[in-house]
Amino acid sequence: MMLEDELTVSTRERDGVAIIDLSGDVTTFAEEKINNAYREVTSKGARNVLLNFRQNDYINSAGIAILIGIVTEVTRNDQKLAVSGLSQHFQKIFRMVGLAQYAEIYQDEQEALAAFKARS
Amino acid sequence: MSTSACSQTSLELSLPSELGYELVARDAVAAFARRLGISAERIEDLKTVLCEVCINAMEHGNSLDPGLRVEIFCQVENERLVVEVLDQGMSRYTAGATPLSIGDKVAGRGSLRGMGMLLISQLCDEAGFVPWSGPGNRFRFAFHRQPGPNLHG
Repeated sequence: MMLEDELTVSTRERDGVAIIDLSGDVTTFAEEKINNAYREVTSKGARNVLLNFRQNDYINSAGIAILIGIVTEVTRNDQKLAVSGLSQHFQKIFRMVGLAQYAEIYQDEQEALAAFKARS
Repeated sequence: MSTSACSQTSLELSLPSELGYELVARDAVAAFARRLGISAERIEDLKTVLCEVCINAMEHGNSLDPGLRVEIFCQVENERLVVEVLDQGMSRYTAGATPLSIGDKVAGRGSLRGMGMLLISQLCDEAGFVPWSGPGNRFRFAFHRQPGPNLHG
């Protein structure tokens, strides 16, 4: 019996920032959903992308690999990437693996949007 | 999954090699660690380490064969929570070389995967394979019950 994939991914736009909301576990099963959401916002011309996590209590190394893939695409497409909503533990993990070098980490969506606005 | 508590300070779990079951083990071991008085912050580290070790055992040790089991043994030794994870794989796997940096990965110089062992080594107080003559791989890691000099974060 397979255990259920519990990640929900959706996209929206706010203040000129493409927001990808991720709610649930970020594991190997999340690859298609996350990549599709990123391709969707990129195809609409997004320059600023926010990965907005919502109290995800499980992001494993396979999930981190997916996010490194997004970082690779963001770099290639000359976009700006930020993340918000991570728990303190996963903020530490993001710094540990180096993701924080490529994506600014903010406590919440409001803080991230304010930072994007200040940089524009 | 089966569980048994041999004594007040030990716990044994047995999982099928299917991704997702590491979460079941994670919650059980986290509850066990909480009873031992390990801090909430260190339990978050323990949860990540346990999941990564279990995934390695399932993927690399047991080749995701659901008929093969992953066994988890938790016990307290000298004020440390010691966890051993055994698989039934017929081939040995090792930690391998130093993992690629994220810069190399972003530059396309290697696989995007491979951060699991880095997380394991950074988050726990001791970790490594245990040499033994039995089948499969035996990986052992430990967390001190009290904050020690190797405390991270």
